[in-house]
Amino acid sequence: MTVRVSSLALALITATALTPLAALADTADKRIALSNNYAGNSWRQAMLQSWDKVTSAAVQDGAVAAADAFTTAENQVTEQAAQIQNLILQGYDAIVINAASPEGLNGAVQEACDAGLTVVSFDGIVTADCAWRIAVDFKKMGKDEVTYLAEKLPDGGNLLEIRGLAGVFVDDEISAGIHEGVSENPQFKIVGSVHGDWAQDVAQKAVAGILPSLPEVVGVVTQGGDGYGAAQAFKAAGRDMPIIVMGNRQDELAWWKEQKDANGYETMSVSIAPGVSTLAFWVAQQILDGADVPKDLTVPFLRIDQDNLEENLETTQKGGVANVEYALDDAKKVIAEAKGD
Amino acid sequence: MSAIAKLARQPWIFAFVAAVAVWLATAAFTHGQGAGGVLSVAFTFATFFVIVAIGQMFVVTLGPGNVDLSIPATMTLAGTVSMKIMDGANWMILPGYLIAVAVGLVVGLFNVALIRLLRIPPIIATLSSSFVIQSAAIWYNRGLRVKPPTLLADFTTAKIFGLPVLAIIVILIAAVMHVVLTRTVYGRTVIAIGQNARAARLAGLDVGRVRLATYVMCAVFAASCGYVLAGFSGGAALNMGQEYLLSSIAVVVIGGTSVAGGFANVPGLWGAALFLFLLVTMLNTFGLGAGVRLVLTGLIIITVIVIAGGSRANAR
Repeated sequence: MTVRVSSLALALITATALTPLAALADTADKRIALSNNYAGNSWRQAMLQSWDKVTSAAVQDGAVAAADAFTTAENQVTEQAAQIQNLILQGYDAIVINAASPEGLNGAVQEACDAGLTVVSFDGIVTADCAWRIAVDFKKMGKDEVTYLAEKLPDGGNLLEIRGLAGVFVDDEISAGIHEGVSENPQFKIVGSVHGDWAQDVAQKAVAGILPSLPEVVGVVTQGGDGYGAAQAFKAAGRDMPIIVMGNRQDELAWWKEQKDANGYETMSVSIAPGVSTLAFWVAQQILDGADVPKDLTVPFLRIDQDNLEENLETTQKGGVANVEYALDDAKKVIAEAKGD
Repeated sequence: MSAIAKLARQPWIFAFVAAVAVWLATAAFTHGQGAGGVLSVAFTFATFFVIVAIGQMFVVTLGPGNVDLSIPATMTLAGTVSMKIMDGANWMILPGYLIAVAVGLVVGLFNVALIRLLRIPPIIATLSSSFVIQSAAIWYNRGLRVKPPTLLADFTTAKIFGLPVLAIIVILIAAVMHVVLTRTVYGRTVIAIGQNARAARLAGLDVGRVRLATYVMCAVFAASCGYVLAGFSGGAALNMGQEYLLSSIAVVVIGGTSVAGGFANVPGLWGAALFLFLLVTMLNTFGLGAGVRLVLTGLIIITVIVIAGGSRANAR
């Protein structure tokens, strides 16, 4: 009961603190937590490393008092909800969330808001009204892939679609974008669709299985983390290499470079930089600082093309993911763009 | 005639019948196009399932409650550690494999220590050890993919007359393990323990040592699979073992091994692994949506198990 009363009081205090009068509040004593639902792949590992790098510098410079990262073990909604409740009790001022589910955490997120915390979700966003969302326009990402192929292959042809993990909304969104792109470019036809679970070995297996029964394929539309596996499957089947859209993984970029040097192979690569966690950090800092931030923000894609392949490959850690870390000014720019709409 | 009747009574026959049926259905749908290619690919990928399933089968045969849930994490750790230490050097292929085996040995002993010394039920023990192992893999290389040595990559993808070399080796290993299960004291002891651990102990069998050997063997098979899979798919990834948790159990059960223990067979593992791969391929070829695919996968697996289980009950 005491907890509830004090959190109500805290909510009132914070509500007053967030009025425009206090727009220049200092955030040096504010504490921000990262609530992360999963760490079991290279993208998430890079995300956590970027967070650590950027926020520890921010803490040292006195921008905030603390920026701790917490990851749940099992990628479960219940576990992350409990974690958020713990973070409320530990007295953080803001929670940055990469959520296990868009709706499942709304109860815990609402509790956090009621307790006066600022909640910023990114990548895996939450739909609760009180939270901020740094969303990725996954649909556009899928559509862009088809638009690119339409430029490269004006005559069209058969496409193979590699999807992600069935039942995850990111998978549905990217796929919807791809299908929208195909319906606008009727010279293309999707002749096969498999689930690669965003993992090279799963994608390789799925593509290898369906490939013998497919006619000639001119392009492979992907979701990231599956392009290299697809290339291996085409190679093993002795097929002509189609244009495989890549997803910014270093092994994909290295393979692309190898092919480019050997036979002028052309493609493009698109994904979200894992450093988007640092953009979310700065947005949370800005909100705590009293800035007027719209609830829905959009992350820019990290796209790699034929001419900037080499420089991106050089800056990408061997075996990792192409990455960009964001600074305070980037966050301000994203906020300004969202206001401009 | 009696030979056919005898064959029909084998518990593993249904997995093969199902695999052939699914393959024919795929071939009919594509009017025979690529049917041979699909079969060759099926052998390639079934190989990995069979490697882990052999170990899992021995563990499951130990009796109710015995199952190894640490297989995916063990694969990931063994793949990660061996790839990083080999660092693409061809002369390191054998030492790299020994390192993977060593990882398996350590994991197996750790599991047994949890089960025997701390008296934790195997399901909980192996589940919790998998968190430790997975974290070790994350800590060791932070999810970075290290390329396998080129010779290892060539070896794991090599084919003779359309049949993968790796599959041939694993068929031989399966044959050896079949003899181990049915003709050696160790194999018979595993089955005896699964049928009645108390009776086995009273009969003077060394239950503890056999159980230890079985869990260690299972972990070594998982580690070996992690090693060759990382070689095959261009490096180890943190999530590379994920789908092998449930599939290793599914392959064992569909293959005609009793999930209650005490009744096992090796040939069925191959039938079941081929069946599972061909089933997914068939549904992909039909172009069905993900939801329908998952529902059908479940229903078809249930059907095969019910038919196989029903006939086994009659045979007894």
